[in-house]
Amino acid sequence: MADTHAVAGPQSHGGQEPAHGGGHASVRTYIWVALILGFITAIEVATLYVPGLPNGLLVSSLLVMSAIKFVLVVGFFMHLKYDHNIMRSFFIGPLLLAILIILALMALFSAYILLPRP
Amino acid sequence: MASHDAHAAAGAHAVHHDPNIGTTGLDNRKVGMWIFLGSDCMFFGSLIGTYLSYKGKSVGGPGPHDVFNIPLTSESAAVLLLSSLTMVLALAALEKSDHKWTGRWLLATALLGAHFVGNQVYEFYTFAVHDGLRLSTNLFGSTFFTLTGFHGAHVTGGVIWLMGLWWQLKRGRLNKSDYTKVEIAGLYWHFVDIVWIAIFTIIYLIP
Repeated sequence: MADTHAVAGPQSHGGQEPAHGGGHASVRTYIWVALILGFITAIEVATLYVPGLPNGLLVSSLLVMSAIKFVLVVGFFMHLKYDHNIMRSFFIGPLLLAILIILALMALFSAYILLPRP
Repeated sequence: MASHDAHAAAGAHAVHHDPNIGTTGLDNRKVGMWIFLGSDCMFFGSLIGTYLSYKGKSVGGPGPHDVFNIPLTSESAAVLLLSSLTMVLALAALEKSDHKWTGRWLLATALLGAHFVGNQVYEFYTFAVHDGLRLSTNLFGSTFFTLTGFHGAHVTGGVIWLMGLWWQLKRGRLNKSDYTKVEIAGLYWHFVDIVWIAIFTIIYLIP
């Protein structure tokens, strides 16, 4: 799964570090990641049809599975796992802000998806 | 001697100079795309936050569970995930200068994206015509159509971009030296995929 190689991209000259800042996974890894993503998606949908599953458990398990898929796509398909730290900070910083925006809006409007309404 | 050194330095500069490489040593186009994607995260974060804030607060129907077609949306999710795989395969083929497979994978990615958009158009049509849910029907309608509509617009833009790359490849204007150009399109494409991962769970699956 972890087999990778740096990309000697067009901006890479004379054996320098690749100018776009990193390498990427192999085709084999991509296919594995895609299979895992498909499997998790199937589990997500199947979870909906499990009878008697408590709402809190259903919601939290769906969020965890979604987060795993998110990380796999960003890490492997978008190469962020292998990319330069600057690229990571440009994406992860605003992503955290986006999550805070969602939580702040939900708090402002007293909207809850995990906790029961008081 | 000094003249020779100066000439050598100038030559080296000419070889190493690439207008796309900034002082950080990173490709400006790629840095720009990551910054754009970061800002787009906050854009979609606002839309998702608004949807969740108004969830269950519509005065009248129809509501999410009156209209959602989970099997159709699940197929859309699978199609978009598959398109992310074909996108990275296109990039891997370009790296090997395999133009034949680069073209095939790029075209497959664009067609899968078009399939997704087709599903969304069908879904919107069904909601509006058969279920009576429109943008102005209730809070659910306005937040749902705005959020998923903007995502669909992103996918449509991505399909056009990919078709443009495919066309350039067919005309012989795209090759291995354009790796970063295709990689940037791929970053955008994977981004619309991760936004759908979030929308699929938060909007469609969570009761």
